[in-house]
Amino acid sequence: MKIFGKRLFRPRSIWIRRVVQWFFFLLIALIAVNHTLVENGGGIAFLSTASLHALCPFGGVVTIYQYLTVGTFVQKIHESSFVLMILAFVLSILFGPVFCGWVCPMGTVQEWVSMLGKKIFRRKFNHFVPEKLDKALRYLRYLVLVWVIYVTATSGTLIFAEYDPYFALFNFWTSEVAVAGLVILGVTLLLSLFVERPWCKYACPYGAVLGVTNLFRVFQIRRVESTCKNDGACSIMCPMNIPVDVVKTVRDHQCISCLECTSEAICPVAKTVVFNVGGVK
Amino acid sequence: MNLTSKPLAAIIFIVFFGGIAISTVMGSWQTESSKEAATYTEGEFAGQSNPADIRGSYTFGDVEKNFDIPSSVLAQAFGIESDGAATFAVKGLEEMYAASEFEIGTGSVRLFVALYKGLPFDLSVDTYLPEDAAALLKDRNLTPEQSVYLEAHTVPNPAAATDSPVVDPVPTAESASEAVPTQSAATSEALTENLIKGKTTFQEILDWGVSQEIIEQVMGAPMPNPLTKVKDYCTEKGLDFETIKVALQVEVDKMK
Ligand code: SF4
Ligand code: SF4
Repeated sequence: MKIFGKRLFRPRSIWIRRVVQWFFFLLIALIAVNHTLVENGGGIAFLSTASLHALCPFGGVVTIYQYLTVGTFVQKIHESSFVLMILAFVLSILFGPVFCGWVCPMGTVQEWVSMLGKKIFRRKFNHFVPEKLDKALRYLRYLVLVWVIYVTATSGTLIFAEYDPYFALFNFWTSEVAVAGLVILGVTLLLSLFVERPWCKYACPYGAVLGVTNLFRVFQIRRVESTCKNDGACSIMCPMNIPVDVVKTVRDHQCISCLECTSEAICPVAKTVVFNVGGVK
Repeated sequence: MNLTSKPLAAIIFIVFFGGIAISTVMGSWQTESSKEAATYTEGEFAGQSNPADIRGSYTFGDVEKNFDIPSSVLAQAFGIESDGAATFAVKGLEEMYAASEFEIGTGSVRLFVALYKGLPFDLSVDTYLPEDAAALLKDRNLTPEQSVYLEAHTVPNPAAATDSPVVDPVPTAESASEAVPTQSAATSEALTENLIKGKTTFQEILDWGVSQEIIEQVMGAPMPNPLTKVKDYCTEKGLDFETIKVALQVEVDKMK
């Protein structure tokens, strides 16, 4: 309901994003379980039996070097990873890293744990890391990316799988998972009690790749200065701590296009933080 | 143009599932490897499939297709029932041989295939084979270097591996009369019982009933600490392990 352009009952968050996140989480979880069942002679008939590696768009990124130089894929990576990588790229160029904000189950799980953290720490939640340190740490994920690409290119094997918390999350019941992956997963989930999406912010190499599209994506998060009340709600709500209330257009490399800062969610004034292409009307 | 959450959600679904559908139609939605091993790129064997590229997800059937080794041979080598051997995934070996002291897995299949087909293989890393596999390779054309490597990298078959990683315990009269061994168990027992291998110690030979004097006589040298491996001792003393092994085996066999 709207009175004088202001909404009285506004949704506190983008609920459909939660639905999409649940959907992809369950889909990947079921496929991962099904993969194990099939290996043991069982399986759910209508479900994909693919391994998690085959369904990871980041697999496409790490295999690019080998594909271009030798013409083959890194072990365990298949054409499907390439397809997903291209699809996630297309979406990112248009809308920013929606893969992170809407699809990636690793991001989803961190958000779930963070719900508890928000209840415990309230306003302090997501504000524990000193600003300067936080800003510097945000570039760590690019180092991780360079390291992953380097070790994959030189070894021809998927070494990152041993450290990948996402792989550990959906394989903790199999013998394929390495201790390092489990430890990193555990640390990530623990940190999620204090910080929103710690893995995404500081370490995820795929988030690093997709994050770059924030600099030139077609649809941008924009703030209409003329109607903005400068209450800072958008910045407080942003899971990635981006100061939306002081910029006209969000170009931060960490935005995940979750839309939580927009007038559809936290911004109390209609059509003030918008997701659009071209200039603001 | 403003975009809100619901159309964005729809676009995400359309792009992902539409993209997958299109790539399926175009034949590029492959979630499994084509199971075609990469080939050697240079040298004498250029163009031939390279066993080093065998993956854990390959079945014995895939190995057969790539390297022309019947899956029944692979089944025999690795102690698998020959019915359905073609669908046995190579990575299943690790679990089968979990009790073995040395890892038997995908690497072992790579090694077996390379030696069976006379293809080059990196022998600088330690890869192990079960005795049945080693026995099958004895008739192949191995180089002296490969023979020595094989000798030193042979481990008991799985039935034996669960009991003891090194030597099969001699069955007691009671258990022998009670047990109704299956054919494969019987075969593996015959192969693994009291065989001198690279890991055999002097103590084991003593346990099999050969006296210290006979051992010393055969070697022409005093017996060291019984826990020393025969092979290590031969290397240390500059003796030919193969010759000593055969001579000692004759003595061991006399005790049966
Ligand atoms: S940053 Fe990485 S873990 Fe986080 S949502 Fe994106 S891909 Fe997933
Ligand atoms: S700026 Fe807005 S869309 Fe981007 S991460 Fe923050 S809340 Fe989400």
